[in-house]
Amino acid sequence: MCGIVGYIGRRQAARIIIDGLKKLEYRGYDSFGLATLNGDISLAKKGGRISDAGSNTAGLSGRIGIGHTRWATHGIPNDQNAHPHLDCTGKIAVVHNGIIENYAELRRDLTARGHTFRSDTDTEVISHLVEEHFQGDLSSAVAEVLPLLEGSYAILVIAEGDDRIIAARKASPLVIGIGDRELFCASDVTPLIDHTRRVIYLDDGDCAVLSCSGCLITTGGEQVSRPVEEVDWDIMDARKGGFAHYMQKEIFEQPQVFYNTVHAVRESPEALAYFVGSRMSLMIVACGSSYHAALLYKYLIESYCDIPVRVEIGSEFKYYAPPLTVPVIGITQSGETADTLAALKMAKAWGCPTIAITNVVGSSVTRIADATIYTRAGPEMSVAATKSFIAQLAAGLQITAFLSDNTALEMELNRVNIMIEDTLTIEVEDAVALCCTAQSIFFIGRGLYYPVALEGALKMKEISYIHAEGYAAGELKHGPFALLSPDTPVIALAMPGKTYPVMISNIKEIKARGAPVIGIGIAGDSELPEIVDLFIPLPPCNEVAGIAMASVMLQRLAYYVADGLGCDIDKPRNLAKSVTVE
Amino acid sequence: MEPVTECILLAAGEGKRMRPLTTSRPKVMIPLANRPMLEHLILAGKEAGIQRFIIVVGYGEQAIREYFGDGSRIGVEIDYVVQRKQLGTADALRSAEGLVSGNFLMMNGDMLLSADEIAEFCRMPIPALAVSETDHPEDYGVVLLEGDRVVNLEEKSKNPKSRLINAGAYLFSLEIFERIQMIGLSRRGEYELTDALMGYINEGSLFAFCLRSWMDVGYPWDILAAHELFLDALQAENLGTVEEGVVIKGTVAIGEGTIIRSGSYIEGPCIIGKDCIVGPHAYIRPRTSIGDMCHIGNAVEIKNSVILNKTKIPHFNYIGDSVIGSGCNFGAGTKIANLRHDYTVVHVGGIRTGRKKFGAVIGDNVLFGINCSVNTGSLIGSGCRIAPHSFVDGVYDDETIISR
Repeated sequence: MCGIVGYIGRRQAARIIIDGLKKLEYRGYDSFGLATLNGDISLAKKGGRISDAGSNTAGLSGRIGIGHTRWATHGIPNDQNAHPHLDCTGKIAVVHNGIIENYAELRRDLTARGHTFRSDTDTEVISHLVEEHFQGDLSSAVAEVLPLLEGSYAILVIAEGDDRIIAARKASPLVIGIGDRELFCASDVTPLIDHTRRVIYLDDGDCAVLSCSGCLITTGGEQVSRPVEEVDWDIMDARKGGFAHYMQKEIFEQPQVFYNTVHAVRESPEALAYFVGSRMSLMIVACGSSYHAALLYKYLIESYCDIPVRVEIGSEFKYYAPPLTVPVIGITQSGETADTLAALKMAKAWGCPTIAITNVVGSSVTRIADATIYTRAGPEMSVAATKSFIAQLAAGLQITAFLSDNTALEMELNRVNIMIEDTLTIEVEDAVALCCTAQSIFFIGRGLYYPVALEGALKMKEISYIHAEGYAAGELKHGPFALLSPDTPVIALAMPGKTYPVMISNIKEIKARGAPVIGIGIAGDSELPEIVDLFIPLPPCNEVAGIAMASVMLQRLAYYVADGLGCDIDKPRNLAKSVTVE
Repeated sequence: MEPVTECILLAAGEGKRMRPLTTSRPKVMIPLANRPMLEHLILAGKEAGIQRFIIVVGYGEQAIREYFGDGSRIGVEIDYVVQRKQLGTADALRSAEGLVSGNFLMMNGDMLLSADEIAEFCRMPIPALAVSETDHPEDYGVVLLEGDRVVNLEEKSKNPKSRLINAGAYLFSLEIFERIQMIGLSRRGEYELTDALMGYINEGSLFAFCLRSWMDVGYPWDILAAHELFLDALQAENLGTVEEGVVIKGTVAIGEGTIIRSGSYIEGPCIIGKDCIVGPHAYIRPRTSIGDMCHIGNAVEIKNSVILNKTKIPHFNYIGDSVIGSGCNFGAGTKIANLRHDYTVVHVGGIRTGRKKFGAVIGDNVLFGINCSVNTGSLIGSGCRIAPHSFVDGVYDDETIISR
């Protein structure tokens, strides 16, 4: 995920683009850059956050410009890999959001034809391809290049000798803003609304030519007209793209994140090969939500692949100091979690192969591990992990499918994003009201749903400050039963499968102690709604989709409870996003 | 020197002091004698030789864009730019970058100024600042002069060193756009033009021009004094239908499609808009503006008031020295008081109006039941609904339901 902004009009472009990029920082912030056109192209780009770099636009004059704030996918975050990317002649500049899947092949061919690459990005192939096709008309050059690109893109292109911006999109967002004698384009409307309310949302496959005389949109070579829509400023004031909090926004991004991650992992055969090398057993180290994802990996890999998996908390790992030889996997969203890094270093010193699963390209863990698998969650702004957890789950499921060579499971993964989407609109109001008044909440599940319960409890306690405990359902009667009362709601995950009948008897035992039970199950279940106080029905699904849906449901429950209690959801007290100390 | 023909008008603000009249329109669209304030200013500018206006819009921009269009209806050229957040005058000016081609005039869109004075100001050396003398300079930042040059600007204080205040009109060359790029955020969190002006002042190059006709229309009650100015200059005309038995005295303008029914008595100066029904037996007293599509019915007396479009005052009502929004409906017998028995100056929500006779400020779409009594100095928010026989006194937020 990255953010792009373009401007053409009557004002100096650089300042408008920088202000716009700052608004898109939630889409990426590891490096940024912009190019303006004033006869010649002037370029400025560097690593780091745009909001830390100030607004120095010296040397960037021109009333046409494009800019980019990056979240690395190909090539580590540094000055060279920041966008815009130029062609060999320095006369064409491109910014890009998305992933060009066939870039390796395109790059090989371009290099063979004598092009010199300055970066490790997938984007740079576009600059060189446009260079090859450019014969004075930028729009036809871009139109010729687009069919050569596989994958997803929203791109903006400018060139010397052509006073226009060419914009195109496929499976990445791009919006055009129609101002007063000026045009804007951006990854979403937030950078536009300071200047105009009138916007055009481009469709997939659209190519737009922005010039001083207006905006011309074509799709497949045919001119089309797209409706001009008016943005409601009041709603946009929420700034997070219509959501009240980053956490809510990130919960809603999860269908896309799941899909992107499954596909990205499928295309990382080198990293996956490290798993195959060692079919004897695996060791996983992680902290926080990543630890809960690791527990799910254990259940999945052991049951589908018959490979024993051991899971340890990062900070405890060093005290066991087991004499390991098996591959050690470290899961960390930020790639900077100190305890996980330390564990991987130890494992490496023992001579174990090490594999990182992380969301941040170029982060510390990627330099320690022998191989890295990336989750494609994009930047996560909320301290409470949501989409990065779902991305880790998606990666784990795809790894499981790969190791077990299970094509049925792999097919199943293609549908989970749709199932997650269905979960986002299920009513939880009554359950929220019940939890809001509680001092303590228990989350219980069995098997695969035990880690889901642990993660649900973690979400609840970290953002709503309500004391919440996740338990394996069978463990409740070994102690915690003493705490049950009419004031301690129990959230029970009773999804179909071999754990279902035992869960039902557990719930009956809890009810007998007077505690209210919120049951999460499958729509159409006739037994569960009869015995619980509140029933939250999920759409019918198989086991794999069930874990994703139940996880998302518990995130939503925590979110709305915290919101109802007026908590600072995106920045819970005492917590930090990335824990870089032991 | 080339004459100044381009003007930037700042009209992005809501004008919060004008609430509730700004619920559904920006301040500059509040009509005075049935024309938006901004139109009066543009027409004066046109008469002074300005051909092209760039209006900086924000709050309620749609209303401004739709009303003025490209300006051809009133014989000028109009462009718009958007300033979405109120980040100061320098920010507003910055949003208009690239739209003026040479020396230009910049004015606050909510000021009233005569054509002669605009023309005179435009002949000043550049840069120049318009100032105005006031008897309450403690309410404003003040301007210190030496001869015809500005030597300092001082923030609002209890003991101002001058009676001259910044009137909100400027003459600039294109060079100002370079200067405002350098301005940082002020303590108030805005990009203030004052910072750029101080640069000119330190160079000794900022000229001052003293306005005589300037008027500050800050609060709703100021509308009454301002609309009087325009009513006094009104031409009598009758584009509607006046039935037999109507008495018209003084200057009265009646719009197209309006019917004045028998038995009505109208004293000018007074303007009645289009498609209204007045009477039978209505009594309209001097200095009253009635908008379009209003209904003023039987046995209704209106005096020195401003009534906006589509308001109905149909049976046995008295309205004196008041400002009434659009789309209101007065129940039979509802009246507004306009004089205190101690004969002191009326205050609204604790703010002095300066008027001994003042009725009320009523927002848009206010519905009165029958026989309500509105006390002098009341302010009723837009969309309020008031039960029959209520006594209404004080300040009410928008959408309040007032019951007995």
